[in-house]
Amino acid sequence: MTSPLISLQDLKKRYQLGDNTVHALRGATLDIMPGEFVAITGPSGSGKSTLMHILGCLDRPTEGRYLLGGQDVSNLSRDQLADIRNRQIGFVFQGFNLLPRTTALENVEVPLLYSRPLMPAPERRAKALAALTSMGLADRADHHPSQLSGGQQQRVAIARALVNEPSLILADEPTGNLDTRTSIEVMRTLQELREKRSITIVLITHEPDIAAYGTRVISVRDGLIRSDTPNQPRSATDEQIALEPIADVA
Amino acid sequence: MPAAHDVRLAASALLRNRVQTSLALLGVMVGVGALVTSIALGRGAQASIHDQLLAAGANTIVVTAGNYQVERPPNNEETVGHGTAAAAVLRPSGPDVVVSLDRLDAGFAGGRFIRSHYEDDPMAVHDHPTAKERLGDTMAGLGAAATLTLEDATAIRDELPGVQFVSSGVHENARIAVDIVGGRSWLTRLHGTEADLPSIRRGWTFPHGRFLKAAEVQGSEQVMVLGRVVADRLFGEGVDPVGRVVKLWNQPFKIVGVVGSRTWTSQPVAGDDQFDAVYVPVTAVHKLLNLSKLNTITVTTKSAGETTQIAKQIAVLLRKRHGISESMSDDFTVKSQAQQALGKGLPPDLARIVSANMGSVDQLTVEQLSASLQKTNGTLLALLAGVAAVSLLVGGIGVMNLLLLSVMQRTREIGLRMALGARAADISRQFVLEGVVLAAVGGVFGALLGALAADLLNRWLGWAALVAPLSVVLALIVALLLGVASALYPARRAAQLDPIRALTHE
Repeated sequence: MTSPLISLQDLKKRYQLGDNTVHALRGATLDIMPGEFVAITGPSGSGKSTLMHILGCLDRPTEGRYLLGGQDVSNLSRDQLADIRNRQIGFVFQGFNLLPRTTALENVEVPLLYSRPLMPAPERRAKALAALTSMGLADRADHHPSQLSGGQQQRVAIARALVNEPSLILADEPTGNLDTRTSIEVMRTLQELREKRSITIVLITHEPDIAAYGTRVISVRDGLIRSDTPNQPRSATDEQIALEPIADVA
Repeated sequence: MPAAHDVRLAASALLRNRVQTSLALLGVMVGVGALVTSIALGRGAQASIHDQLLAAGANTIVVTAGNYQVERPPNNEETVGHGTAAAAVLRPSGPDVVVSLDRLDAGFAGGRFIRSHYEDDPMAVHDHPTAKERLGDTMAGLGAAATLTLEDATAIRDELPGVQFVSSGVHENARIAVDIVGGRSWLTRLHGTEADLPSIRRGWTFPHGRFLKAAEVQGSEQVMVLGRVVADRLFGEGVDPVGRVVKLWNQPFKIVGVVGSRTWTSQPVAGDDQFDAVYVPVTAVHKLLNLSKLNTITVTTKSAGETTQIAKQIAVLLRKRHGISESMSDDFTVKSQAQQALGKGLPPDLARIVSANMGSVDQLTVEQLSASLQKTNGTLLALLAGVAAVSLLVGGIGVMNLLLLSVMQRTREIGLRMALGARAADISRQFVLEGVVLAAVGGVFGALLGALAADLLNRWLGWAALVAPLSVVLALIVALLLGVASALYPARRAAQLDPIRALTHE
């Protein structure tokens, strides 16, 4: 039996907001196995963003343990967390978060700049280009984000998330800024990553339609996990074929 | 994180706020420029003071044959009756006694020569000196005392490290005549010397021709350099006499140059020792007069401050060479310009400068004058440096302000970089580098600006300014330190941002 990639044990997070203490997470216990596509849903204020930040090693829990790949990361220093993010986690954000005035290729290269030991420049370039190529964007390498469509920008961001070959991809509302067709395209890409490369994917969304693409759906409310159910995922590939007549896939 | 990428990133970040960056750049440029200019002015003033004082002879030592400060031994009774010995003892500071090329006492020497040399004193009753009396000349310190040789001069030149130039000399009075029928003639000072003399007399200039060449001295050639006054008297004012022939002791000498003065500390006047004088190779004088001894050896030191010390070393060296035992006194006299100035007071030119600066002129030596001028200059320099420091501080505040703006504008980018794995040090390095790039560019242009300002001040206002490469290097180092120092606070703020807040920053 394989060990879980992610293991949360009674995870709690409290904030001090003025005189009030906000209990963002009240005790989350959760295992995620390698190769799962987990969709975490919940309304705003449910604590799903806090959960996502802790899963992404951007924040530390107040109480409880978080094991990532067997390593307890609950109490690491800021710099240690930065290294974990760099090596093990790929982020895909709602707003793409690409650097403007910087080419697609250079955007993909950014995580490699912070890797230790530092890779030589030609190797970095080759790796970044390979990641872009796997996203079908080799011919857009020299384009700036402003010259790319929303879908293309999100694929650049996915290439950036993949470039350091992480075991986990955290996607935070990745389709929030995209139209339906492009959303399906992005979901297909994520599904393919899981199927072909066995990358574990954790997707945060408030849209049940998007959550339906996961193999497992977790619903969060008031800082607690309310439901955790396996799911027969929707196939983005099938939907895309259905949309083909009006699609102009590059 | 790789350097090339960092620098490119810093440059592009700076270009984002062109106006603010330009202003911060201007601040750095003004600061660095002020620093370069003030150092240039300080050094220029220092060099100018040094030059003028060296021209006035602050670093000159004159070694004279004989020692007039020593009283004659009492066993010379037979000479007492002549009255000559008495005269020599009573008037120890006669001109031939301290024979020196020095301009400072030239006026006094020229005036007193006829009056006080005991052999020419009409009131003195004397016979010509006996051979024994001549031996006494060693003690009398007459330039004629046969104690200094060309080999002594060579030893001083080769064995003492602080010595800059050495010129040996014989000095006579001589009548120079233009070699044509009815040509004018002029009674003047004759200096047999060497080719290095113009390096010792730093204030010299050559309106016509040149000074003696080493080869001419080596070959005892009959060539002559005229002092400006002599040239004017013999050939008329402003006439170029180079190539003409004059007669000295009925021997033809070819004129190769005319020497004049370029500093305010000594201007050619009739009767002075430098410009109312002619210069010929010392070897030519030796040959024509069948002599082998020197009257004087003139020495300059590399720095004016070492003069007294070198003078002592020369005395030790010559005592050793002359085999003088410890109980015996020197058979030569070593005098530095400073000592002479102290003994005799300053010439009017120098006194005028000094009186503007100091109260007690009489007790001032040239070395003290130098120190006093350097001190005044140091105060000025400190003031200029203060102005530069304030300018640099203001420039640094400009850089810091720009970087704080940059951190604020790029909060989201900082958050993203943190999410992608940048450590705190990676983030702060990025901003420190921005400060350094800004300071480096500002530093280079500021140094150019400063050098240009120094040059313009020099040309338009005649201020002495000396831009040394080292001061430019110093300015650049200061600029880089300024860049780092100004960037530290903004960089720290950037590195301590919370990644989540930074990522969600609008």
